[in-house]
Amino acid sequence: MRSIVVIAAVAIGLFAGMFMMAFFMGFVNQEIDAAVETTLSHVQIHNPAFPDDKGVSFTIDNGLAIVDQLRKDINVKAVSGRVITSAMISSSSTAAGVEVHGIVPADEKNISDISQDMSEGVYFTEGKKNEIVIGKKLAEKLGVRLHSKIVLTFQSKSGDLTAGSFRIAGIFRSRNSGFDESTVFTRFDDLALLLGTGTSMHEIAVLLKDGKMAGPVANELKHLYPTLLIQTWQELSPEIALITGIFDQLMYIIIGIILLALMFGIINTMLMAVLERQREFGMLMAIGMNKRRVFFMVLMESVMLTCAGIPPGILLTIGTVEYLAKHGIDLSSFSKALSQFGFSNIVYPQLQTNMFLPITVMTGITAILSAIYPAIKALQFKPAEAIRKI
Amino acid sequence: MNNIIETHNLSKVYNPDTIPVNAVNGVDLQVEEGEFTALVGPSGSGKTTLLNLIGGLDYPTGGSVKIDGAEITKMSENKLIDFRLNNIGFVFQAYNLIPVLTASENVEFVMLMQKKPKREREQHAKDLLKEVGLSDKLDSRPTELSGGQQQRVAVARALASKPRFILADEPTANLDSKSTENLLEIMAKLNKEDKMTFIFSTHDQRVIDKAHRVVTLVDGKIVSDTKQ
Repeated sequence: MRSIVVIAAVAIGLFAGMFMMAFFMGFVNQEIDAAVETTLSHVQIHNPAFPDDKGVSFTIDNGLAIVDQLRKDINVKAVSGRVITSAMISSSSTAAGVEVHGIVPADEKNISDISQDMSEGVYFTEGKKNEIVIGKKLAEKLGVRLHSKIVLTFQSKSGDLTAGSFRIAGIFRSRNSGFDESTVFTRFDDLALLLGTGTSMHEIAVLLKDGKMAGPVANELKHLYPTLLIQTWQELSPEIALITGIFDQLMYIIIGIILLALMFGIINTMLMAVLERQREFGMLMAIGMNKRRVFFMVLMESVMLTCAGIPPGILLTIGTVEYLAKHGIDLSSFSKALSQFGFSNIVYPQLQTNMFLPITVMTGITAILSAIYPAIKALQFKPAEAIRKI
Repeated sequence: MNNIIETHNLSKVYNPDTIPVNAVNGVDLQVEEGEFTALVGPSGSGKTTLLNLIGGLDYPTGGSVKIDGAEITKMSENKLIDFRLNNIGFVFQAYNLIPVLTASENVEFVMLMQKKPKREREQHAKDLLKEVGLSDKLDSRPTELSGGQQQRVAVARALASKPRFILADEPTANLDSKSTENLLEIMAKLNKEDKMTFIFSTHDQRVIDKAHRVVTLVDGKIVSDTKQ
């Protein structure tokens, strides 16, 4: 029974450690993927002056040629050119400040998953002009519904104040409520016409086949277009890179706490095992078992119990993570807080084979360290006294 | 005959700083090779303490113990453990076998610590268990054996290291009369045929009757020492 407790403690400790790693890895990777697939993409190209004040005149004038060139790159999965401006959006009852993205829906569908987040209506109708797609939260704020008319007011390239009337074709609800409230989409041509930017673009978003190639592809583009600003998603959204770093540290802190708890669990059980067998240890020492052997016997018992606990721990982790990777972990009770930060309610843990070795080694070391104190305790028994313990 | 054990003015005081108890008080005892000696006396007379001191399981507060001329009371703890392993066999009142090992493995265990080869261990264990009448119980675990059988395994274990003598603390205290008789016969046979020296503490008159020498202790002192 005692052995089963230690084996179970090791298995559960290992499971907890690996599950936390899988959970955080899933959580962070999901956030990176979501950020990349919602707005960022892997690489973005801008006029160097654009990011600072988003001035309408800071365009990429040879944008169409760059887009065509990028489509031929074997690393590129999809490209989308955008015109972007800050605007005032007005309904019959109220107004709000937003960022308008003029996009080519067919291209944008390949690069952003907003088209899949439609809660009402459609993601633009083929052939219809002056349609707009807005977020659910903004619609609620403006008091508008599907097919309502709204007015966008902004400054054109020439500096004139321009307004355009748009009809709501669709309402989306992404998992980032902040994004839903502040971003709207129109067709590229409709917005470009009002802004007077022609075929020029403010932003070219590039989605790669492999996100890890963002750095090399960005470097290549910097070489090809030295006058433009080329940025990877990490540079565009340092907060996500920061979150990744924080979660990495948090993960190790939590794993440390779990291993510490495991350590105390094993110390407690092994200490009980040693104290309960005081008479046995007394007898072993009486008949000639030296202290070194007694010490290593307790240590070996702990190591062997740990070795017995590792396979069930790994199997439990694989089984649980495999199941949850398909069905997800529902964190909807924290949904309000999570959505404000753009985090998903459902987390899909990710298991990576390179997790097994470090966690297993750490668990093994913890088990060995935990056995040291009980082993020292066993050495302190006096055979003449220990042998008479009931 | 040579003295195998010699104690000189041997004393053991428990709780010397609070309420001192003189468990053994100035004992001078010589035991010759091949003796079959019983230590008798009322409870608390110091029998077990004297056996522990002779067996090197405890250090005295005064005096000395010499085994074959070697003063064990001056040995370090580690050296004493090695000395016990190679020179002294123990039989305990509660048998104290290792529950997860078979009878044969229990006997082999001592030889394992002496780093004897596997084949020699197995053969010697088999011979010893045969000698104590348990050749059909080699693979039985302690829980599958009666009290008397367990104590006979303990005797075989005590003999396994080929010790100079065997110390037995109340070896028959937990046994019925038939098992006691059986065990005594085995011990007497080992003493007679193999010249194995036995010293045991006991209250049991049947054991006392079998002993060649009876040393009586009262309040930690030897009050009589008779040969019979």
